[in-house]
Amino acid sequence: MPETRRSAWAGILTGIGVAAFLDETVFHQLLHWHHFYDRSTTEAGLVSDGLFHAFGFFAVVFGLVLVADLRRGDRLSGRALVGGVLAGVGAFQLYDGTIQHKLLGLHQIRYAVDLTPTTGRGTSSPCC
Amino acid sequence: MNVLHHVPALLAFAAYEAGAWRLRRRGDRWPPIRDVVFGAGAAAALAPGGSTFTGHMLQHVLLGMVAPVLIVLARPVTLLLRAVPAAARRRLKRLLEAAGVLVFPPVAAVLEAGSLWLLYRTGLFAALGDSPWLHVHVFLTGLLFTTAVCRLDPVRDRAGLGVRAGALIGAAAAHAVLAKTLYVSLPPGVALAVADRQAGAELMYYGGDVVELGLALIIALQWYAARGRAEARSRRTGVPRTARG
Repeated sequence: MPETRRSAWAGILTGIGVAAFLDETVFHQLLHWHHFYDRSTTEAGLVSDGLFHAFGFFAVVFGLVLVADLRRGDRLSGRALVGGVLAGVGAFQLYDGTIQHKLLGLHQIRYAVDLTPTTGRGTSSPCC
Repeated sequence: MNVLHHVPALLAFAAYEAGAWRLRRRGDRWPPIRDVVFGAGAAAALAPGGSTFTGHMLQHVLLGMVAPVLIVLARPVTLLLRAVPAAARRRLKRLLEAAGVLVFPPVAAVLEAGSLWLLYRTGLFAALGDSPWLHVHVFLTGLLFTTAVCRLDPVRDRAGLGVRAGALIGAAAAHAVLAKTLYVSLPPGVALAVADRQAGAELMYYGGDVVELGLALIIALQWYAARGRAEARSRRTGVPRTARG
C-alpha cells in the first residue's frame, strides 16, 4: 500500500536539493550569472545562504534514500513523489529568489542586465 | 620531510595492519577493503602544504576532511577493541566512555567549525602560520567530528539521526560561510594575493561540499540499512516494525 505522506516528503526533499544543485551548477558555474560573493551581500544573507546550501545537499541525499526505502517495500506513491518534487523546487525558488536574493540582498540574480528597458531600445517593447 | 607529519601516519598504518593481521590469524573476518581505505586515509593525511594559501587550503581539506572520512570508514576503534587482550579492552572502554561528551555530535561540530573560525577570523593564523601543531589540531578535530557524525565505531554516545544530521548541516553551513568571508576579506595580520586567496576560499567551499556530501551519504545509507533490518525482523516475528524515521 503506498504511503502518500512519506512519498511526498521524499519528493519535497529531493526537489529542494535538485533545485539547489541546479542553481549552483547552471547559474554559478556554467552561465556565471550568479557570483560567489558580491559587496551587497549582508551578513544575514550569507548565513542564510550557508545554511540553505548545507541543507540542500543533505536534502537530496536523504530524499533519494527515502525513495529507495519506499520502493523496496512497494510503498512509493509516484503521484505524491512527483507532486513533492515540484513543490520542493518551487519552495526553493520562492525562498532563494525572493527572500535570499531580494530581501537579504545576496548577490544579484543576473548582472549587467537592465531589468526595466525603455521602449525603442529593447526588442520586446510592450506597445506598438 | 616533516617528521611530526610522516611518522605518526606511518605508525598508525603499521598498527592498523598489525591489528588486522591478528584478527585474521585467529579466523575473524576483517574485510580487506578497510585496510585499503585506512591506507588511503593515512596517505591523504600526508598531503604537503606548499607556499600559497590555495596550497594551504588544499592541505587542510585533505588533512581535516578527506583523511578523517577514509579513516573512520576503516573502523579503527572497532579493530583496536577486538585486537587487544580483554583487560586492555576494559580499560579502553572506560576511556571511551570518559570521552563520551566529545563525540556528542553538536559538541564535536562546535569544536571543529569553531576552531576554523578562530583560526581564520582572529590573529591566530598570522601567529601560527604553517605550524605542524596546527595541522595536528585540524586533523584531530576533523577526526572527532567525523567519528561523531558517522557513528561507525562503537562510541558511547549514540545520538539519533536528527542530532547527527543537524550537526552535519550546522558544521557545513559554518564552513561555507567562513569560506565566503575569506573570499572577500583576509585573515587578520596576513598578506595574500587576491587571486590566491579567492582560489583558496573557493577550494574550501567546494572541497568541503564534496566531503560533506559523502558524510550525508554515509548517514543516509546507515538509516537505509537500519530500516531494512527492522523490516526483515518484523516480517520474521510478525510484530510491526518499531524503528521509524
